[in-house]
Amino acid sequence: MTISELTPNPVNSRDESTEPTRRSFDPERLGLGLLLLTGALLVVVGTGMVTGVLATLALALTLGTVVALIGAAILGGPEVRRKIAPYGLLKPGMLWLALFYLAPLVTLLRNSLSTLPSRFAVKADFDWNFGNYSTAFTDFGGQFQRGFGYAAVATVLTIFLGYPLAYVIAFRGGKYRGLLLGLIIIPFFTSYLIRTIAWQSLLADTGPIPSVLNDLGFQPILNALGIMDGDKILNTPAAVIGGLTYNFLPFMALPIYVSLEKINLNLVDAAKDLYSGSVRAFCKVIFPLSLPGLFAGTLLTFIPASGDFVNQQYLGNPNTSVIGQSIQNQFLVQNNLPVASAMSFVLMMIITVFVIIYSRFFGTDDLA
Amino acid sequence: MNSPNNDPLSRMSLSRRRLFARAGMMGAAGMSLPAILAACGGSSGGGGGGGNSLFFENWPEYIDPSEDDLTGTVERFMAASGVEMNYAETYNDNVEYFAKIQPLLGNGKPIDPDLIAPTSWLVGRLISLGWVDKLPIDLVPNAANLRADLQKPAWDPTGEYSLPWQTGFAGIAYNIEATGRELKSTEDLFDPAFKGKIGMLTEMRDTMGLLMLADGVDISTVSTFDAAATAFDRLEAAKNDGQIRRFTGNDYLNDLSTGNFAACVGWSGDVVQLAVENPNIRFAIPEEGGTSWADAMVMPKGAVNRDAAAKWMDFCYDPVQAAQITAWVQYVSPVAGVQAELEKIDPELAVNPLLFPDDATLARTFSFANLEEGVEAEYDARFSAITGA
Repeated sequence: MTISELTPNPVNSRDESTEPTRRSFDPERLGLGLLLLTGALLVVVGTGMVTGVLATLALALTLGTVVALIGAAILGGPEVRRKIAPYGLLKPGMLWLALFYLAPLVTLLRNSLSTLPSRFAVKADFDWNFGNYSTAFTDFGGQFQRGFGYAAVATVLTIFLGYPLAYVIAFRGGKYRGLLLGLIIIPFFTSYLIRTIAWQSLLADTGPIPSVLNDLGFQPILNALGIMDGDKILNTPAAVIGGLTYNFLPFMALPIYVSLEKINLNLVDAAKDLYSGSVRAFCKVIFPLSLPGLFAGTLLTFIPASGDFVNQQYLGNPNTSVIGQSIQNQFLVQNNLPVASAMSFVLMMIITVFVIIYSRFFGTDDLA
Repeated sequence: MNSPNNDPLSRMSLSRRRLFARAGMMGAAGMSLPAILAACGGSSGGGGGGGNSLFFENWPEYIDPSEDDLTGTVERFMAASGVEMNYAETYNDNVEYFAKIQPLLGNGKPIDPDLIAPTSWLVGRLISLGWVDKLPIDLVPNAANLRADLQKPAWDPTGEYSLPWQTGFAGIAYNIEATGRELKSTEDLFDPAFKGKIGMLTEMRDTMGLLMLADGVDISTVSTFDAAATAFDRLEAAKNDGQIRRFTGNDYLNDLSTGNFAACVGWSGDVVQLAVENPNIRFAIPEEGGTSWADAMVMPKGAVNRDAAAKWMDFCYDPVQAAQITAWVQYVSPVAGVQAELEKIDPELAVNPLLFPDDATLARTFSFANLEEGVEAEYDARFSAITGA
């Protein structure tokens, strides 16, 4: 959603403004100007570029922009008020985003181009050090690949598990729909960490799952498929992917359910009236209509899964390390802020590119 | 001790210990409930000049608590000294804690606690950064009870900045049911028979210390990165081959008792506790040598309650009091004379070689040298690259 969508159509407003003498004062320009000024001021203060008296002045100026906007609304006529209303309404959101999103982002960017003067230095010096980015790629290329690889496989698995689940609940759930949805959500009452650690016990070498699989003689097959490593599942890539799939399944199933539930079943009847079989009706009617849910579910699963490090931490081994874990380690253990910031930025960039490409293919028109 | 001890099994063994400890505890302390109450009531009025209160941040479960009708060391101290003490078990991890205090101490601002007990290498780092104050040793007469081998250690060459809280060893912990044989050497960790069943500690000096000793390097004098290069290569190869299942903190205890690990690098005190419940768990200081570590009390720069801290250290370095702590935590006490006192409380524990090692054992344990900043950075970078973080 962009500002241009929210603001009144400029062509219309020009038609309506019948007073050419007031051209010099354009309320829309004032509104936009004040909005951008506020954002810029808060970013400057939030990133610590100015401190002390200057910061106080900047904050006063921020307050001033709010007062100016209100003043313009009071002094101006209804026409002015109508024009600056969108900017006034955008202001709280803008303040929030500037202070809690843009300012940290700018700080992160600055850090990623800085150098630590000494190992335990508190502050990194900004010196356009692009070397941090090459370090991020050369030292952590494998972690990036595994992070996205595991997330991608887990996302596909959640689709295969989550879609039928949502389908059954939406179309066959009947009066148990609420209960079944509740059952999907109930695991969320337990902490994410606890649920993941619980898998450690279930998958432990002497735990219930490997014992049963071994007793039933599945071990050679699972070894061939690469799911088991000898007699163990815990601390293998399969366990990491399994953990991700388990933890993110509801994020896939619920949006798909919402999409499916909205579908008018008469459309399926109509398709069948037109000599379409059940499979064809699904492919031509239900599946396309459920795409917005699938799209949302994919984003909700893939993005957090690619930065996740909890599953790797508890279910993986040293050869399955992922990017989220490396970033955490660089930030909190190595105290290497510049490289950690560069890695975070690369991760964000890759995800942004992915989302842009993905939304081009699937479209977000139906996603309101 | 490098992370909290969460293992339920060891907790059970502790409560068993406390039964033994009970009789001696009350007698030794010579304390009664009214005395404690009086102390608590009276202490709030004092203060002034930072003399009468104390804030000690220490590792979890690292001191005998007041439970049931037992009086813990903190309460006994408060009653005896009149100092109002805030003892917090919020020191969970060396690197995490360092990251927390870095922005404050690095900017010359004081932190809240008057005393903390980091592991020796971090003590060394804090000393070289100038982030700790000298201890008021002249106010701690009992500091003379410090074990001879811990005086002027590598991490604190002048001995003016730190007093050890507890010490212990890192060696090989194994589950004999899973290994099928006794383990004696660090080489056993690389036995292909245990592929994917070996654990190593994320505490770099313990894991690398063992491997470097196996490589013939004297870790107590090591000063270059090259000396560790072979050991690092070996660790990396073992990790790539899948020999090493996981790098762990204190959670190795679970993996060891469930059999996920056949063997791992572990800490002596943990294994003493775990072995009470599970006799299959064994601990060995490898033939090639094990590491000895210490967590030591230091005063962060700008700590105000110096007098109270001195009283506390003096109290804990009294062998009678130190024996109470040892009976509960089961690590190697830094205080000479504890063994004689412990005999009165728990004779069985007083002859445990992991609590009171003989000279032959001590000759096989080495504490890691205090690395120069640049060298330490190289070690940390290589180690974290291998552990896969």
